[in-house]
Amino acid sequence: MVQDMRLIELKGVCKNFGDTHVLHDVDLYIRKCEFITLLGPSGCGKTTLLRIIGGFEMPSSGEVLFEGSDLTGIPPYKRRINTVFQKYALFNHLNVYDNIAFGLNLKTPEQLGVGSKKEKKAEIDRRVRRMLKLVKMEGYEKRSIDALSGGQQQRIAIARALVNEPEVLLLDEPLGALDLKLRKEMQLELKSMQQQLGITFIYVTHDQEEALTMSDTIAVINGGRIQQIGDPKRIYDEPNNAFVADFIGESNILDGVMLEDDLVKFCDTEFQCVDEGFGTNEPVDVVVRPEDVMLVGEDVGMLTGTVQSVIFKGVHYEMMICGDGNGFNWKVHSTTMQPAGSRVGMTIVPYNIHIMHKATTADAVPVQQKPSKEA
Amino acid sequence: MVRNTRAVKTFRTVWMALLMLFLYAPILIMIALSFNASVSRSQWTGFTLDWYVKLFHDPAILGALKTTLEVAVVATAISTAIGTLGAIGMHAMNTGMANVLVNVSYLPMTTPDIVTGVSLMLMYLFCHVPLGKWTMIFAHIAFDIPYVLFSVMPKLRQMNPNLYEAALDLGCTPIKALWKVIIPEITPGIFTGSLLAFTMSLDDFVISYFTSSDMYPNLSRIVYSSTKLGVKPTMYALSTLMFATILILLVLINRRTKLENM
Repeated sequence: MVQDMRLIELKGVCKNFGDTHVLHDVDLYIRKCEFITLLGPSGCGKTTLLRIIGGFEMPSSGEVLFEGSDLTGIPPYKRRINTVFQKYALFNHLNVYDNIAFGLNLKTPEQLGVGSKKEKKAEIDRRVRRMLKLVKMEGYEKRSIDALSGGQQQRIAIARALVNEPEVLLLDEPLGALDLKLRKEMQLELKSMQQQLGITFIYVTHDQEEALTMSDTIAVINGGRIQQIGDPKRIYDEPNNAFVADFIGESNILDGVMLEDDLVKFCDTEFQCVDEGFGTNEPVDVVVRPEDVMLVGEDVGMLTGTVQSVIFKGVHYEMMICGDGNGFNWKVHSTTMQPAGSRVGMTIVPYNIHIMHKATTADAVPVQQKPSKEA
Repeated sequence: MVRNTRAVKTFRTVWMALLMLFLYAPILIMIALSFNASVSRSQWTGFTLDWYVKLFHDPAILGALKTTLEVAVVATAISTAIGTLGAIGMHAMNTGMANVLVNVSYLPMTTPDIVTGVSLMLMYLFCHVPLGKWTMIFAHIAFDIPYVLFSVMPKLRQMNPNLYEAALDLGCTPIKALWKVIIPEITPGIFTGSLLAFTMSLDDFVISYFTSSDMYPNLSRIVYSSTKLGVKPTMYALSTLMFATILILLVLINRRTKLENM
């Protein structure tokens, strides 16, 4: 499905608001039919990046290419891009039908591929009804916007954008205002709509789970810079740096020293690992996911500690375990519960230990977008 | 906390009654006299609608009514257009300067009418513009605009800031976005503003007095000049009608504002 064709390309995009640098030298390309998520904490610049692609902001420097030609200076109404805004931005003075038909009404009959004004009306009607069916809102044509729930408004906002058959759909935290259950449902529906229509989706969120569920590609952004780009599995399994490891899922991040290839020392203990190419005795960041720490008997564990607290999370228990020696607080997820105060042993298998270069600052990490990704 | 003894309750009722009496007694007396058959102000000789009938047969009064309505309608239309576009412009500025501008444009609402009236008259005289209907209309436009701004600005502030962008996103040019999205979204504010402007126009005496001439009297001017020759009961009837009209308009505006803020 995903072809290696660059639909949108950003080259050295910077954005300043006065003295505030919101984006630093962002390079990114987006392939046709890709579902790409811009993921980062609030204030990281992800929404600004989206607004630059939509044409609502101009980059301070750098360029944005659409199918190879420069988009700079082209106003939003001339871009083949539509947007689903964070707070929906539906038109309260129009009913559901007229909201969806708004963009089509502005087009000429020729643009809609029909001959006369009368045919235009019929064509608009056909497309609006098809959209209402797609977002499962048939029968709501005459409703006013205030009479809809948040989730229904969300669907109408998506329909209003998609009905124009854009090349690219921009979505700015569209599910932020919905409750958890509805959000999960909409995630799956959005993904299936995207696959069904074959439209490129650029999705902005701060919710890492949402990003992992829906995306073909995730770009993790922090401090106005892209920290890592890759498919969800790579981002989760091989985070580039401590920020990504911490932001995507939960992590135990420890200071360690690389003794030699495949051997690392942390918590005064030597561990086998699968990372090579680090300098001898190089200080490194060691990342271990909470679910990768196995609880064993105190006598057989590579590390030992005391359980500090236990929280039931549904599928698993989350335990905080204070390690003996350096007193590191381990976050451990396990389906078996050890009561607070009990002594436990911990074991980590080599391929679950992730070693990362220590970054002096997060900015220093160069990000290379892989030219093509494995299917 | 005062206890609700009977004495306290009575005191409160009496106090309230006095307050209302103080505010409305003069108007109530005038309304009563407009239905008095006698010309005398001291004698009630029976109920009549004669003064109202006479009122509508007096060409001077009918002419003044026409002038008043004409001025109010034209001034309302023009001030609504200027005020609405001005509000949209100031809202879009979104800088510290915009705040200063908004406050400066509200200021004329608090300037005493006599100052506005005299200064406008001076300006017209200075520019050698003969006083008449159009000078009065321009004066009304000037004092109506702040009321329009005052009603439209809150609507713009309440509006979802992405609406304009959504319109552009769906293919509107900036001008089309203004007409098809921004104006319809703030229409309730525009309507309230124009009602308020219309009321202020109907209501005005002082500013009209200084910016027009006896050749183009409006209703309040007719009432004022007729008092110099001894008040006729037709004037009570006219004043009663003016009071009733303004009252109805204000109730309407109040209800609209309440509905909008719900």
